[in-house]
Amino acid sequence: MAGVGFQRWVRTLSKGKISGISGLLPACRSGEILTYFPINIGEIAAAAKKYNIRVEDYKPIADNGEGYGDYPQLPDRSQQDRDPAYQWDHPDLRRNWNEPMHWDFDMFIRNRVDTSPTVVPWSTMCKQLFGFVGFMLFMFYLGDKFPAYQPVGPKQFPYNNLHLERGGSPDVEPEEVKNYEI
Amino acid sequence: MHPTTLMYTSSLLLMFAVLLYPLLVTFTSLPLNNDWASSHAKTAVKSAFLISLAPLSLFLSTGMEAVTSSWTWMVTTTLDITLSFKFDHYSIIFIPIALYVTWSILEFATWYMHSDPLMNRFFKYLLTFLVAMLILVSANNLFQLFIGWEGVGIMSFLLIGWWHGRADANTAALQAVLYNRVGDIGLILGMAWLATNVNSWDIQQMFILSKNLDMTLPLLGLILAATGKSAQFGLHPWLPAAMEGPTPVSALLHSSTMVVAGIFLLIRMSPLMENNQTALTLCLCLGALTTMFTATCALTQNDIKKIVAFSTSSQLGLMMVTIGLNQPQLAFLHICTHAFFKAMLFLCSGSVIHSLNDEQDIRKMGGLHHLAPFTSSCLTVGSLALTGTPFLAGFFSKDAIIEALNTSHVNAWALTLTLIATSFTAIYSLRVIFFVTMGTPRFLPLSPINENNPAVINPLKRLAWGSIFGGLLVMLNINLFKTPVLTMPAELKLAALAVSILGLLTALELATLTSKQFKVTPLRTPHHFSTSLGFIPAIIHRQIPQLTLLLGQKIASQMVDQTWLEKTGPKAIANATTPLASATSNMQQGLIKTYLTLFLMTLVLVTLISAT
Repeated sequence: MAGVGFQRWVRTLSKGKISGISGLLPACRSGEILTYFPINIGEIAAAAKKYNIRVEDYKPIADNGEGYGDYPQLPDRSQQDRDPAYQWDHPDLRRNWNEPMHWDFDMFIRNRVDTSPTVVPWSTMCKQLFGFVGFMLFMFYLGDKFPAYQPVGPKQFPYNNLHLERGGSPDVEPEEVKNYEI
Repeated sequence: MHPTTLMYTSSLLLMFAVLLYPLLVTFTSLPLNNDWASSHAKTAVKSAFLISLAPLSLFLSTGMEAVTSSWTWMVTTTLDITLSFKFDHYSIIFIPIALYVTWSILEFATWYMHSDPLMNRFFKYLLTFLVAMLILVSANNLFQLFIGWEGVGIMSFLLIGWWHGRADANTAALQAVLYNRVGDIGLILGMAWLATNVNSWDIQQMFILSKNLDMTLPLLGLILAATGKSAQFGLHPWLPAAMEGPTPVSALLHSSTMVVAGIFLLIRMSPLMENNQTALTLCLCLGALTTMFTATCALTQNDIKKIVAFSTSSQLGLMMVTIGLNQPQLAFLHICTHAFFKAMLFLCSGSVIHSLNDEQDIRKMGGLHHLAPFTSSCLTVGSLALTGTPFLAGFFSKDAIIEALNTSHVNAWALTLTLIATSFTAIYSLRVIFFVTMGTPRFLPLSPINENNPAVINPLKRLAWGSIFGGLLVMLNINLFKTPVLTMPAELKLAALAVSILGLLTALELATLTSKQFKVTPLRTPHHFSTSLGFIPAIIHRQIPQLTLLLGQKIASQMVDQTWLEKTGPKAIANATTPLASATSNMQQGLIKTYLTLFLMTLVLVTLISAT
């Protein structure tokens, strides 16, 4: 088995198609790993064929030194956004076999980010939600400033304000306390 | 030991043993018989309920409470943890109620999940959940409570995602786990603070040792935990999403037992909160906002289970309000009465859903009071109890809460919101009854409407008895810890009843509009706000995962390599030296004036430096 791999490696190197360290890798048959950003129409066509997209649909990710190679820029739509009634090859994933995967496919699975259109635009949603929360916080602040309570008065005690119970002497005449008015 | 104490503690531990036995049987490799669910699991819960009545009657007649410490788990120099159960007023009343409700739900589930090939596993999960919940409720230290807390969270995940082939169910289960996890941050924060400052996780010790400490930080942690577990505003979206699970799961976990765990934690820790006005105000305002917001969302939902889920969330907000009023016992009473009628509402909706061949949209139901009279009656009784109809179960707890709210020194806006939410409760309850039971059927003629199964009728009957008499029984037999304010103006006394009747009349008015050509569409903006649940799922569930996943992906695959291979190496050198090179070369253009200026500047500098 190792002998077979070695033979394949020797054959690839001798064909001389791929230079550098890529030539040493066994998977490196004609353009299986990421190649460079496509420049001319031939490379664009080859890349579109490799990724199983039409040449009209193929658009490489802009070359900003981030190392995307010739990977296509697919529309940022989530799997949840796709038609649930269509007969997909993998109905739970809403994907067909050998379909090109978005670079952020793991973000766009049905359990994660959903890009389906919303009922109202994004700005309206944010304004309404944060406006609601802000309004509530402001009203709670006002409610704290002007609380609701029942009218109360100081506690009243009998027996001349509990003169004896509060340790007053039984000999001293306590002052008359009237807690009512007629 | 005194024989009464022995009987008390051993019957409670026997109850645990009875519940654990069916679970342990499933860990052997022997196959279970087909009716293991009804013969073992349901019977175990029924027996556990009957066993738990003995300590309950002891408690009610003598006021006996007990703390049982069974086994020392670990002992360190500063902290020791034991397997310790606290059977006090709260747990002794809650345990029989939880077991009664679970017994009814399990019996119902034998009918509801009959066609499920993994019904035995379903019952095993429900039993495991029940054991975890009882551990949570009877825990005497925070470690044991945390075990129960996480246990109910995990079982919630497994049960919500029961139909795991459905992507929406998986998403909902994930939501439940993640939101609960955010709440757990608070719980662990509180536990860590208490462990380091009070050196104990034992409830009695914590109460004594924290008398003179500023408890704001751990209390905020506990409130965050309750926000996550009990679906308060901010961490609430998981509760309506949890309706993806089967109806028995919704009835048990997401109405009666699991969601009240957060409130129960705050009730247990209420002596810590009594003197902390910040924590109490936060509970009050958060609860008021929750109850109002979720009641608003419930008004426009069309899925019967979602309406009941939002109703649960609204009642949980009310319980939080009660804690904010420093009335933990009233919150506890509401937990107990709420369990009865909310579980019954879920079982009625399950009966209706199965009868209409898994139809959950209320716009496609109708006329069921002729076709499923028992279910409709129970639905009506449950809704009446929910709205606080006098002398049904909900009245005793809800009216007491509203009276306490009206006579306390409270945030006026919290008071307003709670009363509005109480009227909304009546509105959406009538909406459910109107769409489900009244009018003419809006479903297909060939529907398997059958409520003639004792597995449906008996649980509903039992929970109906509980919804009617439960509140009265509990109120007659307990002593209130805090003296309620009994004298108040008539307007305040009747406030709850008045707003509920107002809501009922509004809903009736709106219901009559369905047959009149009044206005084609409702007011768009508030309708969209309510139907889209305040846009919170749309914004939060898209924005935050997108940012974190995108950032993670970019950092992992692009940014690290690009930074170390380009931006700190070759490109950095280029970016640093290019401006310097261009500045230098710009100076040396061959202009004599530039050279003379530089010569003069150097001369001046040298003169100045040599002069000093």
